[in-house]
Amino acid sequence: MIQVSLRRIGVVALRVVRQLKRDRRTIGLIAFAPIVLMILFGYALSGEMSGVALGLVDCGGHPALRSHLEAIEDFDVLRLGSESDAELLVSEGRLNGAVVLQPDEVRVLLDASSLQISQAILTAAQSGAQKEAANLQKPQENFVITRYLFGYDLEMMDTVGPAIMGLVVFFFTFINAAISFIRERSQGTLEKFMVSPLSRVEMVLGYVLGFSLFTLLQSTTTLLVVTLGFKVPMRGNPLTALTVVLLLGAGALVLGSFLSNFARSEFQVVQFIPLVITPQIVLCGVWWPLQSIPEFIRPISYMLPLTYAGDALRAVMLKGSSLTEIIFPDLLALTVFFLVFFAAATLMLKRQVD
Amino acid sequence: MASDESGPVVSARGVVKSFGQLRVLDSLTLDIPRGVTYCLLGPNGSGKTTLIRAIVGLLKIDGGDLNVLGMPVSRVQQIYSKIGYMTQHKALYPDLTLQENLEFFAGLYGIGKQEREQRIVELLRMVNLQDLRNRLAGTLSGGMYQRLSLACTLIHEPELLLLDEPTVGVDPRLRQTFWKYFERLTSDGRTVLITTHLMDEAEKCRIVGYMKAGKMTAVGSPDDIKRQAGLKPHLELWLKDPEKDCARLRAEGYEIEILDGVVSLRLESHEQIKSVLEIVSPIDMRLKEPMLEEAFLQLSEAA
Repeated sequence: MIQVSLRRIGVVALRVVRQLKRDRRTIGLIAFAPIVLMILFGYALSGEMSGVALGLVDCGGHPALRSHLEAIEDFDVLRLGSESDAELLVSEGRLNGAVVLQPDEVRVLLDASSLQISQAILTAAQSGAQKEAANLQKPQENFVITRYLFGYDLEMMDTVGPAIMGLVVFFFTFINAAISFIRERSQGTLEKFMVSPLSRVEMVLGYVLGFSLFTLLQSTTTLLVVTLGFKVPMRGNPLTALTVVLLLGAGALVLGSFLSNFARSEFQVVQFIPLVITPQIVLCGVWWPLQSIPEFIRPISYMLPLTYAGDALRAVMLKGSSLTEIIFPDLLALTVFFLVFFAAATLMLKRQVD
Repeated sequence: MASDESGPVVSARGVVKSFGQLRVLDSLTLDIPRGVTYCLLGPNGSGKTTLIRAIVGLLKIDGGDLNVLGMPVSRVQQIYSKIGYMTQHKALYPDLTLQENLEFFAGLYGIGKQEREQRIVELLRMVNLQDLRNRLAGTLSGGMYQRLSLACTLIHEPELLLLDEPTVGVDPRLRQTFWKYFERLTSDGRTVLITTHLMDEAEKCRIVGYMKAGKMTAVGSPDDIKRQAGLKPHLELWLKDPEKDCARLRAEGYEIEILDGVVSLRLESHEQIKSVLEIVSPIDMRLKEPMLEEAFLQLSEAA
């Protein structure tokens, strides 16, 4: 029997907020964590990408051109699966350009917003093509075709910023929720709930509501740090960005609630971090484009909520996408993730033990 | 959903519950009438907590019939607003104040703000914590925590109150207050089921049920239990001439024990005191009523 009373949900939410409010260390971390993460990921990792980021799509042929490009020290060559991947990354400003090798021609995709780099890439591609031509018995006509795309000329900080917001919210909500549920169990309050008119659905929804207020505060702070402190652009509507973050936070909460069933103490919750948080950081496609992740691992990326949240937040903040533009696949995926783990978390809160 | 006003508040018929090989409730049968304090006594592991958890529907019973407030236990969640359950865990939020804890539990039962305030004041006074309402529950001592937990359990004025060891760590004077409050509740037609290890508390209950190995081995008022255990009052006599007097008493068929010069005599009833005094004239005498504790020791050895 599922019964839902908004008032009871509110009672749980109010309690959760009161408890969180009193946890000063967590409140402090909300403001502090995004700054640390921005510095860590934004500055420290950006060094890796100091060279020209060049995508390479190899569809056969032109081995001399390929090895020429790969041998250039200033270029960070990233192998990509298809031309459309390359186009996307160039237009997102995550690659400075790409070279598509086809048996009969070579297409060079360039970012029109950074002409110097484009020139360097083009020069390299042409000198590679000359080497290639020297190897051939029948010299071909000019087989290098150039296409200009309009990228954003973004800095590493800009691409990382939106995802940091998602990461911070996901991390803190997940940990806090899992620990809260562990405590409900160990201090006996869960058993008391079970013998009260509060239903399981109401309880989890109360948590979602209470934590959402917290998430709102957290993501607003992060948004301010990222946009004002680190000058990441905010081209779209900030409310759209907050919607994405709230949905992500709700997903993190129900995941935490669900996984708390498999931990016996707060200490064991912390041990979930390598399993739950780390893969999201590595595989969400923020620090390394999804297209550069080996194909057999990529399905995992597509199961992680941070992948979609990162994508949606980048779209809103950097491209100015509207809410309707990010429904598919990002908001849809985040909603499905939430619903699946909401059901799982609720079902695990068993009233009866056998 | 009005519950049956006349029938027992809890009625169990042949209730069975096993954990693996271990049979924790073994064809248990019991009736708890309305408006009484019912004490569940028994050694550790006799199944007291299991029985309470089965009554509130937290444990699924393997067999038998169990009805709570006229409702089969399988549907007990429909009447949770009428049940107050205090676990041994003393379920509270240490990071909320006393007031906030009480407000939260009141909210779960949909108690309006004005009524809530009134009850909070009354309950905090009852558990003698009225001056600490803005303290964090986590900073309370063990006994205070216990008292707050009781107040939270009573906030919605339940018809049936299930208290698993509610007075552990509570000082004697406050325990008195608790019992007075329980009496007030039962006089309003509410029912209190309590588990305790303290015999003096069990003596205060209208009905005591003694549990052993998952069965009720003795049920009745404290006096009934003593009678069932075959315990009788003793008369202690200080006699001028013990040897001669004892011989006369024995001749009249009284059972006598002599310990440190004091003659102890078993009475069948209090009326016998008169006839004893017709036989001997003691310097001093004292009537010793049997202790409930002895009754249980006897019963648990016998069972």
